[in-house]
Amino acid sequence: MDRYLITHSLLYSWKRAISPNPYESMDSVDPMEDMLTVLRREPTEVTQAMQNGIDFEDLVTDIVMGRADPDHKWFLAAANVASRVKGGALQCKAAKEIEVDGVPLLLYGRLDCLKAGEIIDIKFSGVYERGKYFYFTQHPVYMELIPEAKQFTYVVSNGANVWTETYRRDETRSVYPLIRDFLNWLVAMGLTDLYMANWGSRK
Amino acid sequence: MIFKPSEMTFSDKKVRMLIAGYPGIGKTTLALSAPKPLYIDVDLSAERIERSVLDMAVGVTQPKDYKELKADLGMGMAGNAAENAKRELADVETIVIDTGGKLLTIMGQYGLTLDPKYGQRDGSLSLKGYGWLGKEFQRFLDHIIYTLDKHVVIVFHTVEEKDGDETHLRIKAEGSTKNNVWEVMDLGGFMEMRGKDRVIGFSNCERYFAKGTKSVHGVYTIPELKPGDKNDFLTKLFAEYNAGSAAEAAQAAQERKAYDKAMAIGATILDGVQDAESANSAMADFKAITHALTSQKELGAAWNARIKELSLVYDKAAKQYVTAATKEEEGAE
Repeated sequence: MDRYLITHSLLYSWKRAISPNPYESMDSVDPMEDMLTVLRREPTEVTQAMQNGIDFEDLVTDIVMGRADPDHKWFLAAANVASRVKGGALQCKAAKEIEVDGVPLLLYGRLDCLKAGEIIDIKFSGVYERGKYFYFTQHPVYMELIPEAKQFTYVVSNGANVWTETYRRDETRSVYPLIRDFLNWLVAMGLTDLYMANWGSRK
Repeated sequence: MIFKPSEMTFSDKKVRMLIAGYPGIGKTTLALSAPKPLYIDVDLSAERIERSVLDMAVGVTQPKDYKELKADLGMGMAGNAAENAKRELADVETIVIDTGGKLLTIMGQYGLTLDPKYGQRDGSLSLKGYGWLGKEFQRFLDHIIYTLDKHVVIVFHTVEEKDGDETHLRIKAEGSTKNNVWEVMDLGGFMEMRGKDRVIGFSNCERYFAKGTKSVHGVYTIPELKPGDKNDFLTKLFAEYNAGSAAEAAQAAQERKAYDKAMAIGATILDGVQDAESANSAMADFKAITHALTSQKELGAAWNARIKELSLVYDKAAKQYVTAATKEEEGAE
């Protein structure tokens, strides 16, 4: 066991835990408790919002595969998204060995779609405001994983509308300071051992 | 007319731009610095603009409702009426709409007259009405860009939204339309004061989420207009945008061509992988593909999927693929 996994989900849970306003537009789960659950790698409960996201992505995949029900209430929006991801590599795994402050890490992610220099992530969100993903950790993580990618696009839908939020490489923040802050936070909170015990990677 | 992709230069593309900022910061003056503007004063605020600036407009119109605006632009007209409208706008290169928020309001009011289902009892738009509004806005811009062949600049007021200790700037528009309008824009900038300078930002930051390109990004200082100065900031910016687009398009076309070639070669090789033997013999050719953009990663994923589909595993010692059953047998021995 020589490296420790870093994923967008892990960093996202941490960002939520340290947010000055962690409960805003979130479910009722205590963000710090949620972070500890993630650090312990215990299964988390699937919320309705998460299930909607899964169902929407499944519908997009079904449309790409030509097996979707055209009467589905989200069909038109999902078809719009499907037209963007069709022909790309779907659910593509990516990993990269990195080192931050001497800690050997394995950055890991599963991309919804990789297509012709663009990473596409599908989001289902009942409430959307342009710029919502500016502070998100996903595009910094994935752009580091795929150095050949020119841009990262969040394709967001509420089941009726579809919006896009694109981040070019030159406007994506480096993931390294973020990871450094995360590791420092673990030390400050006395959680490094818990992280290392559960997030080791054998690659 | 059909062009070869290599013949498309994008150097004379009509630009769709959004300008956002606080009232009084000079959005209209900036909007009128676009090439040969027709000023559509939906807000009925032309009297607030300095005469010398207003005089730069090729024409001014103050439509009292959306129906009148459509008529001014020949929207929905056919035959001679459409041709006459186009002729009247022949000298115009840019349609400036001030403000976009008010445009959406009069558009929504028009929608209410079309179908009662677009409204609610209190007179506001229903969910269906907002759906129509989004589509109508798109039709409106398409008419300006594709039918009239003009640039379009839409001016929006900004509103502040608090998020914890931070203040974010958003465009002032109703409902989900404030997201929809961005989808169709090429450029979108927020105007602010920085010290004594008026600036416009096209890059995303903590304060706002704008829209720039590789060539038009960051913060630009808008020069202060002195008597006799030419108000041509956007005219120059559009030229810069189009020059940048042309260069980006040329580079993208080259990369895309190499990417398509790599993906086509990869697909052909993958088609031939039917069992362990064909996988092993295909490996050398597959590794020799010259990659572009993300073709290596995409083809790698496709290769892994094919191997999995055929129930093959890689024997590290033998450095070749074998069937999973063979591997198990070897393990048993």
